[in-house]
Amino acid sequence: MSAIPLALDDVLLRPDIWRGDRLAGLAAESVASGFAALDAELPGSGWPRGALVELLPETRGIGELSLLVPALQQCVLDELPVVVVAPPGMAHAPAWAARFPLIHVLVVEAESGKGRDDIAWSVELLLASGGVGAVLAWLPAKISNKSLRRLQLAAEGSRSLAFMFRPPSCEQTSSPAPLRLSLHGSRQGLQVDIFKRRGPPCEKTLLLQVERPLPWARVRHEAPRVLPQRQPQLAVVAKELAK
Amino acid sequence: MSGPAPKDLWLALHFHRFPLEVFDAMEQPAVVAERHLVVCANAQAETLGVVAGMRLSGALGLAPGLAVHDRKTQREVETLDRLACWAGSFSPHVSLAEPDELLIEIGGCLRLFGGLDVLCGLIREGAVTQGFSVHMALAPTPRAAQWLARAGQEIACLDMQDIRRHAQGLSVAVIGLSAAEMQTLASLGVRQLKDLFVLPSSGLARRFGIRLPQQLAQALGEAADLRREFVFPESFVQKLELPAKVEQATMLLFAARRLLASLAGWLSVRASGVAECDLVLVHEDGIADTHLVLGFASPTRELARMERVLRERLDRLVLNAAATDLRLEAAAPVHLPGNTLGLFAQASAQSLDPVIERLRARLGKQAVHAMEINDDYRPECATQSVERCDVKETKGGPPRPLWLLPEVQSLQERDGALHYGGVLQRVAGPERIESGWWDRGEVVEEKASVGDVRRDYYVAVSVRGEWLWIFRDRQGWWLQGVFA
Repeated sequence: MSAIPLALDDVLLRPDIWRGDRLAGLAAESVASGFAALDAELPGSGWPRGALVELLPETRGIGELSLLVPALQQCVLDELPVVVVAPPGMAHAPAWAARFPLIHVLVVEAESGKGRDDIAWSVELLLASGGVGAVLAWLPAKISNKSLRRLQLAAEGSRSLAFMFRPPSCEQTSSPAPLRLSLHGSRQGLQVDIFKRRGPPCEKTLLLQVERPLPWARVRHEAPRVLPQRQPQLAVVAKELAK
Repeated sequence: MSGPAPKDLWLALHFHRFPLEVFDAMEQPAVVAERHLVVCANAQAETLGVVAGMRLSGALGLAPGLAVHDRKTQREVETLDRLACWAGSFSPHVSLAEPDELLIEIGGCLRLFGGLDVLCGLIREGAVTQGFSVHMALAPTPRAAQWLARAGQEIACLDMQDIRRHAQGLSVAVIGLSAAEMQTLASLGVRQLKDLFVLPSSGLARRFGIRLPQQLAQALGEAADLRREFVFPESFVQKLELPAKVEQATMLLFAARRLLASLAGWLSVRASGVAECDLVLVHEDGIADTHLVLGFASPTRELARMERVLRERLDRLVLNAAATDLRLEAAAPVHLPGNTLGLFAQASAQSLDPVIERLRARLGKQAVHAMEINDDYRPECATQSVERCDVKETKGGPPRPLWLLPEVQSLQERDGALHYGGVLQRVAGPERIESGWWDRGEVVEEKASVGDVRRDYYVAVSVRGEWLWIFRDRQGWWLQGVFA
């Protein structure tokens, strides 16, 4: 190590270093999520380009994709395609066509297993190409940390949005993705917990009124679901700092 | 555009290990022999002391493990033709100088490639990745370029006046005279070209015939040197005999790349591209050929793109029988104008095509697709997978779920309420979908078609906050879609 004296302020200008009590800046720009409450909690005030975003929905059908639709519509305005890798169901064209011009939607059916990981391979290739606006991928449950790191590296070199859907059980395992959210359904809106971000731990659960087939008010109100309180993952934060 | 007309500049490529390198890239010491004499040795053999012109028995004494190939002149001719096609990537003016040289006129295309250094770098890289050792030299006359290249003098001589200065130090061996003529020159004390330049041409003509003084004049640009231009074939079918039987598909990569390089050059001379080409693996004993179709997302002539697809396909190919020959066919080239470079180097949708090709090569053609709406009210039939979609507008309509389940799923009904991990609440509906009277539910391709449907659709919300698309028909309640 060379002993070049550096001013602390210069060091803090680096996007990968931030003060523990503030949100980090971003190396690349971000895309507004379309939800003011969410943007306020995201470093860079939006979904980061060139970084993996992990989404851990409790189950499907809670609005996990509708959460991303406003940002994806921004991508599509740039004439860049949205690529769906290993979707959890059959894409229903009329529903997609109502949100995006179909010319900009591409589906990649890939599988993993038997010693091959076609899903991670496809995502890496797409991110590395730099020609996609966003990649939405449903990663296999058993993906190694090494593969995730490769994906994060591929994302870092691009301007794409990279949304990785993983099963909720992954919340306890560490991941190189700089932004991780867990999603829960409720009758009042989509509950979003940012459990990892570059900045102070996010204590509050956001309740977002994502787009649904009919207004949220039409759904019978019940008390919000009480979710088990989670401890901020200090170990993960420390690891990020050490990088 | 104005400016001086580009001068002729000839780039000579001398493949100095050509008889050997027409076979394959070899790791161990190897030579090519003709009538018990070594014609050509590779670098590994040369380090053991084996040189061209040596008797084969002597060479085997120096290097007992030496691989010996018989010289195949026919193969050399075919390979040089293939290289000429490849050279078409750089300039349409190519001419053959048998047995082991190519001449490319590059004066007119320097600007296109961004200058001399870049172009020469590309050409050298292309030759080396195909496994050919090459000496390159540049001169305003083809003959001078050839002589410089033969001498291994990698010089770029751009001016006619400089030829004499650059060439004078070369040995007279570069002219390619017969052994007897060389003897005569040696007895005259002529060893270098400068000794020849000073001799009167009439005297030279008397001793050696008119050819020698004519060649000297051609080299110096004092006499015309008309070369027959290589005629690029009308259609592209190139065959390559493998040096040995190949049992593993990945071993074909090297040979197949030589064929693709040749195709890429041929296509650029014809200003065309291919969306598909067929690599045929020929087997022995009358076993049917293996056809490996390399498909591209859009017509291309870009070698790197073709190679990536080739690599993916070969990785996944399992050979049932050993291959003896390769053949590359490009059946339907389409017109593809020159590459246009983006003004601000922006990422465009075009740049995704190579990625789509690679994905298709590995995952299968059907696995990577776009969608279009099929005009059918039945949800199962509303989506059509297409290779490429051109619909630029969004299309409104009643709310529909982003995902459909591959198979509809039966829902439990207890005490008048639907259950799906708890009681389901219906929040919208019913919406009647009644269609398909013409469809009798026949089994097509092992899958029953949807048939005549009469369904009432509802939107329902589960206790966990899942938004579902369910319907009721005569058989009961079903879950079909998920509002993700």
